Amino acid sequence: MKISYNATAQLVIALIVILVVSILINNLTLNLIKTGLGFNFSWLFRPASFALAEHPLPYSPSDSYAWALFIGWLNSLKVIFYSLLLSTLIGTCFGLFRIGKNALLRLVSAGYIAIIRQTPLLLQLMFWYFVAILGIKKSIISPMGNLLSISNQGINLLGVTLSAEFTSLLLGLSVFTSAYIAEVIRGGINSVNKGQWESFRSLGLEESIGLYKIIIPQALPAILPGLTSQYLNLAKNSTLAIAVGYSDIYAINDTIINQTGRPIEAFIILLLSFLFLNLFISNGMEVLNSMVTRSTKL
Amino acid sequence: MGNSYNYIKYIKRVAFSNALDSIISLTILSFGISALVNLFKWLVFSANWSVVSLNLPLYLFGSFPGDQLWRPGLWISLFAIFSFITLWGPRWSWLRKSLPFLWVSYAPLGIFLLAGGFGLSAVESQNWGGLTLTILLTSCSAIVSLPLGIALALGRQSTLPVIKNLSSIYIDTMRSLPLIAVLFFGQLLIPLFLPVGLEINRVSRAIIAFTLFVSAYIAEDVRGGLQSMPKTQKEAGEVLGLHPFQITYLIILPQALRIALPSLTNQAVGLLQNTSLMAILGLVELLGVGRSILANPEFIGRYIEVYIWLAAIYWIVCTVMALIARHLEQQMTLDKKDF
Amino acid sequence: MPPIVKATNLTKSYSKGIFALDNVCISVEPGEVLVVMGPSGSGKSTLIRTFNGLESFDSGQLNILGITLEGHNNDERNIHRIRKRVGMVFQQFNLFPHLSIIENITLAPIKVQKKKKAEAEQNALLLLSQMGIESHARKYPSQLSGGEQQRVAIARALALKPELLLFDEPTSALDPERVNEVLDAMRKLAEQGMSMVVVTHEINFAKEVGDRVLFMDSGKVIETSTPDIFFLNAKHERSRKFLNQIKK
Repeated sequence: MKISYNATAQLVIALIVILVVSILINNLTLNLIKTGLGFNFSWLFRPASFALAEHPLPYSPSDSYAWALFIGWLNSLKVIFYSLLLSTLIGTCFGLFRIGKNALLRLVSAGYIAIIRQTPLLLQLMFWYFVAILGIKKSIISPMGNLLSISNQGINLLGVTLSAEFTSLLLGLSVFTSAYIAEVIRGGINSVNKGQWESFRSLGLEESIGLYKIIIPQALPAILPGLTSQYLNLAKNSTLAIAVGYSDIYAINDTIINQTGRPIEAFIILLLSFLFLNLFISNGMEVLNSMVTRSTKL
Repeated sequence: MGNSYNYIKYIKRVAFSNALDSIISLTILSFGISALVNLFKWLVFSANWSVVSLNLPLYLFGSFPGDQLWRPGLWISLFAIFSFITLWGPRWSWLRKSLPFLWVSYAPLGIFLLAGGFGLSAVESQNWGGLTLTILLTSCSAIVSLPLGIALALGRQSTLPVIKNLSSIYIDTMRSLPLIAVLFFGQLLIPLFLPVGLEINRVSRAIIAFTLFVSAYIAEDVRGGLQSMPKTQKEAGEVLGLHPFQITYLIILPQALRIALPSLTNQAVGLLQNTSLMAILGLVELLGVGRSILANPEFIGRYIEVYIWLAAIYWIVCTVMALIARHLEQQMTLDKKDF
Repeated sequence: MPPIVKATNLTKSYSKGIFALDNVCISVEPGEVLVVMGPSGSGKSTLIRTFNGLESFDSGQLNILGITLEGHNNDERNIHRIRKRVGMVFQQFNLFPHLSIIENITLAPIKVQKKKKAEAEQNALLLLSQMGIESHARKYPSQLSGGEQQRVAIARALALKPELLLFDEPTSALDPERVNEVLDAMRKLAEQGMSMVVVTHEINFAKEVGDRVLFMDSGKVIETSTPDIFFLNAKHERSRKFLNQIKK
């Protein structure tokens, strides 16, 4: 009796889903016929004929759409990678400030987290781009001589030039994500049993040594999953690059859709790029996670 | 007697316990104070707030027809009034019991007030904008995606493979996509999936896209709550002879939702912030209004004033939402103690 | 010789009218074993946790090993000086789960006393053999029974060669059949002349090893007697009531 009931329920659900999907596909086909576009990917190999300001590999407008998309993908990876490092660094600092014993640092950290987390990332990115970078009035600011010079054209750090678009995206993403990472770090450290703190204190160990040797190794297993999901968010949020004019995978997709009028195909490419990117980050973190679990032997 | 002496010792302990600590504290104090003083000076003397004061109705209501402004005005005021009553209002039990219904009816009421009909003149969705549109997008998406997300979470926990797999595929795919891609899908691709000749407006399409996206995240939060439930609760229900559906709806789900509440709050706050993405996809919600004002030659270059003003509004609304959620959390723990 | 612990009118309250410590006066002499007994919530743990600065207090004077502790806002260096010379054993062992047994024991000697690793390990093995668990040196805490873990915790506290050992209900979290192995280790320490303050419910231990029994209730010291008097002929009605309850 029970089995047949379950089977019927599943069959009904499956039928409904198939029905809805086929209606949608039918509508899509009719619409595509009406617009006369059809569905194919051969346009990928036609020349893109738009210029890209930033390309880690050689690129010219006569290259194909496919190559332009690949360059966009590399640009995405580049900004994600550096933001990931920078946000982890800033986030760890603020996370530790938040639980430290200096009350002023605690206050500063709490304020930072409250402001950053309660305002939209897009607004912050626009602020970094239009106010912090493009708003620089003086031609060049060099706080550290030749090592670092900042102008409204971007940043020159140790001879490496970063464009204004890349810089503002990097700073915006890193600052935004760091506030979340700070909370992940704080949560992880708070998840360690209070007895462990008392235990190392009663042995006369310094706070910094205890934190480094006793607390953080035990907090890591709790921190890593949270960190992974923040990294995935960071990767997804990097698509807001379009708001500051940085040519990431999404921005290039957008340009291509405007040029070719093929949103369905471009959307499928975008979807696949992100499935791949997510797999990349999750697997990387999985490796890290297993390394930590093995080394802490918990 | 030794009170001031103790304060000095307290300050010494929390900020000046050793040389490094003292250097850090003094640096923060000097930088912090000078930053605050400069910020205050700038806010009061240097900033030109006309870009805000001259456009106040735009920020709040977009280009809603001037003679009908009372409608979004009333709706926004209700948000403030409901929030105030929830947080600081009297503790009359009839009022407390009706609050959930007030909040649930808030989104439909908004659509009615903005769109018109039933005696109100119709206003096209192109004229909706500003904070009103931001809150409309948030409340409508939230109210639809919550039940959808719960259903997906239960689906993913289901023992029936078809339901379980369909839910999992949907949730995982949606969560791997950037929101802007989903919103883009909503604006450009949804029309292609509709029957030829049928059109729905941009606002509805945005709400559909947000709902599709957020429900996948809500589903995972609810699943987290479901998974943290001890098995004994289910067994206790079975021992009482309850039907599996009854166990889920009467015992498991209420507790799981209470556990998931903090992360659901984060989703709601995130949703409100993310409605700003519609500014680059053609809607003039709060951030979109800011962008269009900055494009006006009269106010060109007034970036800082506009961004600070927008940040302040977003911050206040998000903080109010977080406060209400915390209130709800406390309410739920109180209810538990009553039994 | 001056007393190792000298507390005068020690008082601490968490909320108005509820005292964790209420005018507590005690002193512990060198080589003495002081057993602290009392119902749960009577303030016994709070009392010994003030002795190494894990817990603050509101008023009164406290002197440990000649160092005066303030109630709040202590100079960190003073607390640090005391903790280097006072060992503590917790109810829940609080071993470091990610470090091996030997690493648990050598951590403080290496980091606090700046000893060489080899020297610290040699000393640790010696302590482990005194505790009868030298074969576990390379294992991790989770691989040991509760009684073994607690003996590791004692060895860890001893590794700094403390002048005073504090025990906070060291056997309360153990299975009944594991209690004696820990009590035996403590008994040996007492015989070697270690000064100890022990919070426990173990009557036999208190009778055989304790030099004095301090009985607390509601933050107050009700009586301080030798074990003979306390267990056979307690001065106070409340002490007798408590003893009747735990003997049942």
